[in-house]
Amino acid sequence: MKTDYQQFHYETLESLKMAFYQIRANKIRSFLTALGVIIGIVAITMMGTAINGIDLGFEKSLAMLGYDVIYVQKSSWSTMGQWWRYRNRPDLKTNYASQINRIIANTPRSELLIAVPQMSTYQASAKYRERILEQVFSLGTTQEYLQTASGNLSAGRFFTAAESLSSEMVAVIGDDIATGLFPGEPALGKSIQLKNRKLRIIGIFKKQGKFLGLFSFDNQIIMPLGAFEKVYGKNMFITIRVKIKNQERVAEAKEELLGLMRRIRRLSPGNEEDFSINEQQAFKSQLDPIKNGIAIAGIFITGMSLFVGAIGIMNITFVSVKERTREIGLRKALGARRRTILLQFLIESIMICLIGGVIGLGTALAITLAIEKIVPDFPIQFSLNLVLASLVVSVTTGIISGLAPAVTASKLDPADSLRYE
Amino acid sequence: METQAVITMKSLCKFYEMGDQVVHALDSINLDFKLNDYAAIMGPSGSGKSTLMNIIGCLDTPTSGTYELNHQSVAEMDDDELARIRNREIGFVFQTFNLLPRLNCLRNVELPLIYAGVPPEERQERAREALIKVGLGDRITHKPAELSGGQIQRVAIARALINKPSIILADEPTGNLDTATSHDIMDIFGSLSEAGNTIILITHEEDIARYTRRVIRLRDGKIESDTRP
Repeated sequence: MKTDYQQFHYETLESLKMAFYQIRANKIRSFLTALGVIIGIVAITMMGTAINGIDLGFEKSLAMLGYDVIYVQKSSWSTMGQWWRYRNRPDLKTNYASQINRIIANTPRSELLIAVPQMSTYQASAKYRERILEQVFSLGTTQEYLQTASGNLSAGRFFTAAESLSSEMVAVIGDDIATGLFPGEPALGKSIQLKNRKLRIIGIFKKQGKFLGLFSFDNQIIMPLGAFEKVYGKNMFITIRVKIKNQERVAEAKEELLGLMRRIRRLSPGNEEDFSINEQQAFKSQLDPIKNGIAIAGIFITGMSLFVGAIGIMNITFVSVKERTREIGLRKALGARRRTILLQFLIESIMICLIGGVIGLGTALAITLAIEKIVPDFPIQFSLNLVLASLVVSVTTGIISGLAPAVTASKLDPADSLRYE
Repeated sequence: METQAVITMKSLCKFYEMGDQVVHALDSINLDFKLNDYAAIMGPSGSGKSTLMNIIGCLDTPTSGTYELNHQSVAEMDDDELARIRNREIGFVFQTFNLLPRLNCLRNVELPLIYAGVPPEERQERAREALIKVGLGDRITHKPAELSGGQIQRVAIARALINKPSIILADEPTGNLDTATSHDIMDIFGSLSEAGNTIILITHEEDIARYTRRVIRLRDGKIESDTRP
């Protein structure tokens, strides 16, 4: 019915106006009431922001590693703690890469693209004159490395196939190394000392940022395999980086690589693998429980604070109903129906919660910005979904906490209410 | 030709249970009000005049008997139907004025129209007209706190008139006003009556009752007298 709808429409507008007047007339009380929601929403958004941030930082880091690269290594990433399982495995060899590449070339519908060998150590220290950088990530590989890794050069070039083959003592360095060892001077063409050997810098990577805020790609020195062996010797940690054709088909690619490595290692069908094939998914499966833990704890804490907030609002709304008994009686005498009164008090509590929600969001945003300013590397991300979720939660809190008092108000007897002192 | 009856009450009773006692607030009331009646209901406290007013105003329903308002039987109505009747058929004027303090005169007067589903422009136009009719055309945007008692009661009368009700029901409308202002207010009621409105006053002041054309006296829930001086 049109008039019925119209009436509902006008009543709602009236209720909105009244709620606004009411809140404005009782500013301090409304603020204290909304405080429960404010705290709840700050908790919700900060938690969501943190989880978003972890996700985003993770995605960024994975993108740095390259989504389409899988790694053959001695041990598995997903069961990293169990070193004893891998202790007796034979070391990998750098020439596996060329063996894999040969098999790939002879397999018509291979899921794999190219294999690149890599030797590395986290314990390197780099020296230029009197400056020393410790805990540098030193890496020996071939000129094909760039096909399996992200990262553009800001200056110079990567080493060539010829330089790689002849084990030329050249290095491409990360941005942190360049600024750390050569502050205010060009690094290109200078020589850095690793252990007792000197390498000429031929290229510098653009700044990439940290992986999960821990491991930095800007902290690496990349050189030909031969050069690496000259510096560190042969028995270092070997990884075969394998780029795959389609990142949607990682599982198939892993399966193919597994068979291929078994052939290279000459494992008979009954034997267990003595190598591991790793991919970024392994990180994700390690991170997910942590993330879920944060989320569950967060939801619990947030839920508690919202619950307390809701009780506060319910309490205040009950008081408000009591105080305004005469007003309710008058409105009923003038023709307000039950649902009109119900709506009025419900809208009031929703509005208080919504205002609380908006203040909470603003506070959370301010905190987020402050954290970003103080700790720029801390992964943090404010999202529209979070804003919407907070508003929905605020409104829901308003409905839940306002319903009981609103129903009480709507059922008041008009004659008694008018006489109420 | 007999004038049309606006209100018809037949053997109307209202009982309250107070503990194990039953209080007969109204006992077998038979009463008619006709179009353009101007009546005063009088009686000492406890005589049942408040209960009668609540029932006439559809704020309450009788325990037994019939009550017809404009040929609609009110006794069996539910809350929402009663709300509709109060909105369309009855204009209330209270002793304590009962304006909403945060709203200005115009917004106070248009309140019944909101519940009637009247669009905003029409609401404001009609509220303005009603305020002009009670002589407050220059106080439209004032809030109740900025007005005198007499002015406030005139706003309340404007509010009672706004939806063109069948009856205007005034509960001790001059109870909180000084004598001079009381007479001003009664003059307004007088002119409303002349304009054809049906008016029922509840009062305990003989002075005020003298303005009306019919006086109904209640005692112990029964009609003691019903006179047209």
